[in-house]
Amino acid sequence: MSHVLNRLTYFKNRVGDYSNGHGVLTKEDRTWEDAYRKRWQHDKIVRSTHGVNCTGSCSWKIYVKGGIVTWETQQTDYPRTRPDLPNHEPRGCSRGASYSWYLYSGNRLKHPLIRSALMKAWRKARETTSPIAAWASIVEDPETRASYVRQRGLGGFIRADWSEVNEIIAASNAYTAKKYGPDRVIGFSPIPAMSMVSYAAGSRYLSLLGGTCMSFYDWYCDLPPASPMTWGEQTDVPESADWYNSGFLMLWGSNVPQTRTPDAHFYTEVRYKGAKSVVISPDYSEASKFGDMWLSPKQGTDAALAMAFGHVILKEYYIDRQVPYFQEYARQYTDMPMLVRLVKKDGRLVPDRLLRASDFDGSLNEANNPDWKTVAYDKCANGIVCPRGSIGFRWGEQGKWNLEQKTGKGDETDLAISLIETRDDVADVAFPYFGNREHDHFHGTDHPDVLERRVPVKRLTLKDGETLVATVFDLLAANYGVDRGLGGDWAASSYDDDTPYTPAWQEKITGVARDKVIAVARGFADNAEKTRGKSMVILGAGLNHWYHMDMNYRGIINMLVMCGCVGQSGGGWSHYVGQEKLRPQTGWQPLAFALDWARPPRHMNSTSFFYAHTDQWRYETLGVDEILSPLAPEGHWDGSFIDFNARAERMGWLPSAPQLERNPLELTKEAEAAGLDVQDYVAKSLKSGALKMSCEDPDKPDNWPRNLFVWRSNLLGSSGKGHEYFLKHLLGTNHGVQGKDLGETGGQKPEEVVWRDEAPEGKLDLLVTIDFRMSTTCVYSDIALPTATWYEKNDLNTSDMHPFIHPLSSAVDPLWESRSDWDIFKGIAKSFSEIAPEALGVEKDVVLTPMLHDTAGELAQPFDVKDWKRNEAEPIPGKTMPAVTVVERDYPNLYKRYTAVGPLMTSIGNGGKGIAWNTEHEIEQLKALNGAVTEEGPAKGLPRIDSAIDAAEVILTLAPETNGEVAVKAWDALSKATGREHAHLAEAKEDEKIRFRDIVAQPRKIISSPTWSGIESEKVCYNAGYTNVHELIPWRTLTGRQQLYQDHLWMRAFGETLCVYRPPVDTKTIAPVINAKDNGNKQVVLNFITPHQKWGIHSTYTDNLLMLTLSRGGPIVWLSEDDAREAGIEDNDWIEAYNTNGALTARAVVSQRVKPGMVMMYHAQEKIVNVPGSEITGQRGGIHNSVTRTVLKPTHMIGGYAQQSYGFNYYGTVGSNRDEFVIVRKMNKIDWMDQPAQEKLEAAE
Amino acid sequence: MSNTYKALSALLSYPTQEIKDAAAEIRRAIHDEKLTPAWALRQIDRLIDDFETLDLYELQERYVFLFDRTRSLSLYLFEHVHGESRDRGQAMVDLKTLYAQGGLEIGSNELPDFLPLFLEYLSTLPVEEARALLNEPLSVIAALKERIEKRNTPYTSVFRALEAIAGEAPSERELEDLRKAPDDDPHDLEGLDAAWEDQPVTFGPGDAGCPKVSQMLDRMNAGEAPGDIARTARS
Repeated sequence: MSHVLNRLTYFKNRVGDYSNGHGVLTKEDRTWEDAYRKRWQHDKIVRSTHGVNCTGSCSWKIYVKGGIVTWETQQTDYPRTRPDLPNHEPRGCSRGASYSWYLYSGNRLKHPLIRSALMKAWRKARETTSPIAAWASIVEDPETRASYVRQRGLGGFIRADWSEVNEIIAASNAYTAKKYGPDRVIGFSPIPAMSMVSYAAGSRYLSLLGGTCMSFYDWYCDLPPASPMTWGEQTDVPESADWYNSGFLMLWGSNVPQTRTPDAHFYTEVRYKGAKSVVISPDYSEASKFGDMWLSPKQGTDAALAMAFGHVILKEYYIDRQVPYFQEYARQYTDMPMLVRLVKKDGRLVPDRLLRASDFDGSLNEANNPDWKTVAYDKCANGIVCPRGSIGFRWGEQGKWNLEQKTGKGDETDLAISLIETRDDVADVAFPYFGNREHDHFHGTDHPDVLERRVPVKRLTLKDGETLVATVFDLLAANYGVDRGLGGDWAASSYDDDTPYTPAWQEKITGVARDKVIAVARGFADNAEKTRGKSMVILGAGLNHWYHMDMNYRGIINMLVMCGCVGQSGGGWSHYVGQEKLRPQTGWQPLAFALDWARPPRHMNSTSFFYAHTDQWRYETLGVDEILSPLAPEGHWDGSFIDFNARAERMGWLPSAPQLERNPLELTKEAEAAGLDVQDYVAKSLKSGALKMSCEDPDKPDNWPRNLFVWRSNLLGSSGKGHEYFLKHLLGTNHGVQGKDLGETGGQKPEEVVWRDEAPEGKLDLLVTIDFRMSTTCVYSDIALPTATWYEKNDLNTSDMHPFIHPLSSAVDPLWESRSDWDIFKGIAKSFSEIAPEALGVEKDVVLTPMLHDTAGELAQPFDVKDWKRNEAEPIPGKTMPAVTVVERDYPNLYKRYTAVGPLMTSIGNGGKGIAWNTEHEIEQLKALNGAVTEEGPAKGLPRIDSAIDAAEVILTLAPETNGEVAVKAWDALSKATGREHAHLAEAKEDEKIRFRDIVAQPRKIISSPTWSGIESEKVCYNAGYTNVHELIPWRTLTGRQQLYQDHLWMRAFGETLCVYRPPVDTKTIAPVINAKDNGNKQVVLNFITPHQKWGIHSTYTDNLLMLTLSRGGPIVWLSEDDAREAGIEDNDWIEAYNTNGALTARAVVSQRVKPGMVMMYHAQEKIVNVPGSEITGQRGGIHNSVTRTVLKPTHMIGGYAQQSYGFNYYGTVGSNRDEFVIVRKMNKIDWMDQPAQEKLEAAE
Repeated sequence: MSNTYKALSALLSYPTQEIKDAAAEIRRAIHDEKLTPAWALRQIDRLIDDFETLDLYELQERYVFLFDRTRSLSLYLFEHVHGESRDRGQAMVDLKTLYAQGGLEIGSNELPDFLPLFLEYLSTLPVEEARALLNEPLSVIAALKERIEKRNTPYTSVFRALEAIAGEAPSERELEDLRKAPDDDPHDLEGLDAAWEDQPVTFGPGDAGCPKVSQMLDRMNAGEAPGDIARTARS
């Protein structure tokens, strides 16, 4: 048989090999490859970011397939940098890359949840009554109120629909406003820059209501008060790209590779360029291996090290040899030439306040604000002059507030930073010394409390007689113990002298060898000399979370200022912890605080608020006398910290919330009845005692905060310092407080603040948390509302780490019942307006505000502190007490106001940081862009703000950073004050207007604006202080210069006029409990340190399974091998750490990385993830804040005094937590507490 | 078409007044269809009794506690298979496509892998087809059953019934994998401790290596085609 018919003639089989066997054809089924092809298919890519608390601000591609988010990758389309700089990308870290699964995660909050007891009571009441009456019936009946308040944290949630929860919330807010006052409605949300519309959504609602917005930066203890003290600036830092311009980079208490992942590449790159790097960190952190040198000082003693560096720099670069660049810089940009009065106290000469023009006959011809103009010795005139730039020139006159080297009259000056050549005499001046204070765990030295050191002085005749004066520089050099050839007991002739603050002296305190100190100081200063200031210090939480953080920071700032590094590209102060940068700030503020409808808003500093209202003050163990200077001037230094805070509030230094014991909606009526205007009425009633401020009696029910909103935050899970006190007093539920209050211990009670023997438990009527995951805070809330995640909403995002603005945009619609924050608050506002008429109409609200920084109010009391309550002065609003303003609230129209840009933008305009400009043109643009309101009512004809994108357009249009036309206007406005032309910084971009769709297309570089102290330019990277140095714009301080001498009475009282070393404070939380609950295991006492971590926090939380898998899956603490051995703890053992504040449970990680004497627990590990019960408290294990309690520092309360004036998140008390110690021991019994709470209670009975 | 799946779907949904009112109807549907074995019916009756007798708030509170708050009892099937892995997205897309092929589109704000939604889909299919499809996530259902059994709740009955209806035994290998996942609250402390322990890393195939790799290698050694392995390893 032939093969003709069964053989292919024209075809061949597609099999076999080709290309010499390199390729092969088969008939095998290849459809399985589709799996891989499909794997990377997608329908669309959407640009978004991870926007609550990460400064990384990285733009991401979100891949969507079939309406489902499938994965994300880093964006790579940032606008280019300059040719000599590396690119910004890649930006984005493992935390961000594992975010997408929050959307579908089991932890996602899917429906509005409410405690069933509350819902039952509400529905029952609503059957018969109206909403506000229904709420009244619930909270006014103690039993009904307790039925849900006591359930907080114990489950019992059911789902609810939006309309019903909105009505409950609105009714509760309206009831509170009517019954107690709108300032009892409180809102906490942090870090607006990361999702600014979402923040503004809630704060706009609260501000229209008259509620209180709470600060966060100070509460997190990330605000470095040393920055406003020195520069009058909250925090302004270089972008990370500027690290690349540095020649000498110190990382100090900051762990860049771990906590600044997307920026760390600039740090590695600059080392290839030849920059030297020194890392200072007690533990062997990830950063340590990058250092050419690693110094490991004992934790909390950094100021001692900084003082020793400063000692070497002063001696070698200022005294033994004068570096011309340093001298020029010090003369023009620092307060070193300014003169300080020396006064006699107890037979000693003590530095007093800075001399002012008004101290002289004729006030040196300065008629305007002579009390606020500082003076110096001029070598040209051979006499005293009043140089330009001090704060007196800022207000009340124009054109002379600048850093030109001229007097007010216009004469050229050559200011002397030292009087050593022209001295009249040499005087022994007394400086306080704190390094000898006793502490169980920190070594002190045995030097006396007061060190007298020789200072060159001049003798001047002032209005009130003859006075000795010295320059700030001469006092500074003396304080550092540098020998000027003037003799005296405490001038160090060599670095080996054991004299404060030599390299030898610090060895005993820090444990760092002196030769290393000398080498680093020389390297730092040498580089600055050769590069004109390109030495940089990156510093962070490791330094700032201590009670005396100011000393750590000022010690470093002194080094930078001495070496002329601030304001120079590649140099300066890079504080990277919790800092944020809301670049279009002045466009955002009107939206966020409803400044378009009513001014001023109510702002509150959270640290003081929580200290008072979680009743942490009732347990205060630190005495004021323990931190007072041995050289404190005469004054009222008695009482406790809560007394100091109350004094600061009544003098108008710090804000108050709640403000007055009576409802502020009632006061105008009372004033009218009394025939007085409201300001007079409030001042008179306060003086007579007929009216009291709430701060005087925080535990009285009239003064309780009643409603609390928490959004974009895990307040109770991560940032509630004194967590257990929150649970006990603010929430009124199960808690783990171990210590006894001052009533029980018989400790010293406050002097002026009322003590009530029975402590309140459960101040809040309603706690509402808005989150996309069931966080610890949600678990404790009465109502938990599901919000859109970062891939489900439209918003704006900026950072200080790079110069771009970019969006969060909605890749998919909010899942389940969730809504964006904007829509949630809009919904609540709508419900509120609907139900308000039952109790509220158009009301007049009396608002108290402190004297604010960057307003003329910052010039309140120039010399001594006069307290009206002690009859030392009259109560004058805005001068000796808070300013009093009447604000109109239109409650039935709150929703209409919420959704339109109000008329004040046209009638008053906009501005920020002390300058103001007209915005009529921008409002017209917004009408065209967003449309105008057509409905009748107060908003008719005004620009709409319906959607989150509309809100974003409001921000972008009003802000100089995103609207070039506004930038030019803003610079022109500043020019009026400085008398110098600045508009050139923005003119090239005058026509640029960045819109929301632009940034969706690509991140955009922002435009230079006077809101910030650096510039966006083609020539230099952004660096703080740049315009001060290069545009001669003064720093916003008393002297107008970088201020190293702090002369306020309270600064003198607490010994911090100049930087000194202060050891950590003793919180006394160990002794009362160490032997109380023995479990048979050995115990060690360790310093409790809470750094930021690798497996959560920034772009994800510590409940992300991928991240948990990479770490150990639950709470951990790090211990040194020595301490673990002493306590018999092995790696992975369950341990308990406790003190009087509470207890926490965790696994031990035993590591050589850790320095003996400390225990590290990464910040914000969740109570909801794998935490067993504590043997100590009987409650679920506790979080890192369970063992902390916040302690206030009086120097942070100063107000009405130039740079030491209140600003929201700008100045004020900070919640430090690193001075805390804990007892660590192995646990015997692991109780997972998996029975329902009720059964357990019954079983226990 | 099968009312049993629809009824079980309702029982696993968030309890509402509407469902409560329909309790008798649900009971009737399950009893009449006889898809469920009698012993399971008796247990399901106890759950339906609850719907009839308990206060709605109690029912809702229990549901939120069990299914919204307890991650290990999540009713989202892929939570237990893929967790937070990227594969979950593709798996959901595939499931959505399957529904679309059946002519159905998700009309509520639920995810494709939500068990009550999946059961509702089964209720639209011919009985045998539904049974076959029910067998696919059977090991997850079995794992949920084992976890919920420890909690002493009548909801256990639904999972037992589903397992019985499916008829096949769950894949022991998959179930074993699921059992390794930590439960939210066992009394078994040692088990939890074990879940915490870091495994020593050994490279290459072996007990301590990546389970997926070793499974794949086992199957290759057993002579399966690479295509099949890749297909199933992905799902």
